[in-house]
Amino acid sequence: MNDENELKLRSSLMVSFGTQPRSRSILGMVGIALKMLMGDPVKYFGLVFGIGFSTLLMSQQASIFVGLLTWGANPVLDVRQAQVWVMDPRVKQPDQGQAISDQSLYRVRSVDGVAWAVPYARSAATVKTMQGNIAAVTLVGVDNQSMVGLPEENLANSMSAIRGRNAAILDGNTQHLIWADGRDPIGQVVEINDNRVVVTGLTSSLTNFSGLPTLYMKYSDAIAITPPERNKLSFVLVEPKPGVTPEDLAERISEVTGLKALTRQQFAAAGTQFIIENTGIPISFGAAIGLGILVAVVITALTLAMFVAENLKNFGALKAIGVTNRQILVMVLSQALLVGFIGYGIGIGGTAAFLYFGQADPSLRGFKALGEIVGGSALLVMIIVLGSAYVSVRKVLKLDPAIVFRG
Amino acid sequence: MTLISPQAALIDQVTKEFPSGNDVIQVLHGISLGIDYGKMTMLVGPSGCGKTTVLSILSGTLSATSGTVTVMKKRLDRLKNDDLVRFRRRKIGFIFQQYNLIPTLNVAENAAIPLIADGVAWEDALNQSGRMLDHLGLGPHKAKYPRQLSGGQQQRVAIARALSHNPALVVCDEPTAALDAASGQAVMALLEEAADDPNRAVLVVTHDDRIFSFADRIVRMEDGRVIDDGLTQPLPPKGLRR
Repeated sequence: MNDENELKLRSSLMVSFGTQPRSRSILGMVGIALKMLMGDPVKYFGLVFGIGFSTLLMSQQASIFVGLLTWGANPVLDVRQAQVWVMDPRVKQPDQGQAISDQSLYRVRSVDGVAWAVPYARSAATVKTMQGNIAAVTLVGVDNQSMVGLPEENLANSMSAIRGRNAAILDGNTQHLIWADGRDPIGQVVEINDNRVVVTGLTSSLTNFSGLPTLYMKYSDAIAITPPERNKLSFVLVEPKPGVTPEDLAERISEVTGLKALTRQQFAAAGTQFIIENTGIPISFGAAIGLGILVAVVITALTLAMFVAENLKNFGALKAIGVTNRQILVMVLSQALLVGFIGYGIGIGGTAAFLYFGQADPSLRGFKALGEIVGGSALLVMIIVLGSAYVSVRKVLKLDPAIVFRG
Repeated sequence: MTLISPQAALIDQVTKEFPSGNDVIQVLHGISLGIDYGKMTMLVGPSGCGKTTVLSILSGTLSATSGTVTVMKKRLDRLKNDDLVRFRRRKIGFIFQQYNLIPTLNVAENAAIPLIADGVAWEDALNQSGRMLDHLGLGPHKAKYPRQLSGGQQQRVAIARALSHNPALVVCDEPTAALDAASGQAVMALLEEAADDPNRAVLVVTHDDRIFSFADRIVRMEDGRVIDDGLTQPLPPKGLRR
């Protein structure tokens, strides 16, 4: 055979490989399987919407759950400038105020490897507006010079607006909790512990678990207007020197000062962990997610089992005619995969729509369908539908084709 | 056209036992039977005599307890399961009492199933089954669904399905049991035409004596044994039977 003819033969073999009878027969039987499924609209739509509903339940509830957990970490995540947080050893989460002595700041600064360390105060307070409203807020005092501790996004006026005496920057996302009438907070005067404070700017902070508006002031102003007590310093925010890891520095600070020192990631995780361990949120959301899985399992398994049972005679006839068990397995799995994909798409689309439109609601702000949730839901749905399909099809695989002759 | 062999199928000293609780029921007692090419052989007898079991064994959907089963020179009892399934798909056409058409496939698709299962491209399979449907007078009904057809028409679709891949052996289980007399006669006329092909054998299991006249040969069974073989009692020429 000359080279040209050999090339032609190879090309024809390669072309025919993709359309050889075996793969065509599988594709053909998949086509028949999908027509069988879609020709039974009650079961088809029952399966699709059952899987869609359970996907929605699983992914939406998981997204809200993760969002709520993140709220516990957000006060830490809002402070992007410092890598290490130093606090009283009894503190478990960022909203747990247990002040440490002012000397702690200097002791931390003296630790080898510290580039800089600044004070950070965080406490609860009540504001009274000139309109007579009363609202609970979280009052945060940030370092006078560096402003470390302020969120980086400003919605109105620059961050330097905080520098005036008794000036405050308010979280613009929760301002409605103080002024429900929608008025512009800039220039508004509020009273905190009998001290007049002027709102001079707006920032955008991440939602925290308490849900209260956050008011940022200079550290000196914040501690001046809070009730008198021996210590007012909540945290020391620390940045390591170049070449020093936050983990090493945190360990070193703990050893030298006897205070608790955590990296930003560790303290954020502690805030999340606190919610998991001390609230009923994991149980209630876990129950909802479990319900979603149960709905998917029950609907998918029962409907597929009914579908297969009702078509048992037809499957028997197909087996008698010469359809192999492998082809039948592919048929049922393709039916399951189709309803799985469509149902999952509807469910995850519903979750995406819920979260997208939910951003307008402050209580849902920042909730996201994380990749892990999207992928995890897909994996669960596929395991459920393929598992249900396999359980259903076992009866067909064991079916004696001669059954079709038995009346 | 060359005649392949005088007999399309042959079972020899076949027995079949079914378990029943702790006991065993013997349904077939050493049956020997050959099915000829170019003829319609009818297996008749009372309910429970074992005729459907013979049909199942001959078509490779049921294995014999003992004895040999040879179809188109292949020993079915020696074929591996996948090979047996493939053999059924390519060499045997099936017609069932209840038609067993898939209700969500249209007529053309139903008739094309053996071709599609064997890897014929969807469009080619539909064209091939369409030609068979045209031949059987079902051309105008190709796009209809089984529920839109009468019982007789549905059985004709089943015949199209059984013949679409041009099998050498066609087995029919009570093909007229669910049909009225006129539809039954029409269906049998089509099967008779199929049996006229010298490269094809047709085996019909029935207890419907209205259709006996279509047979080239009638084999009577009782209690799992052949009690009478029509080969010894020739029927009148076909044209004079009805």
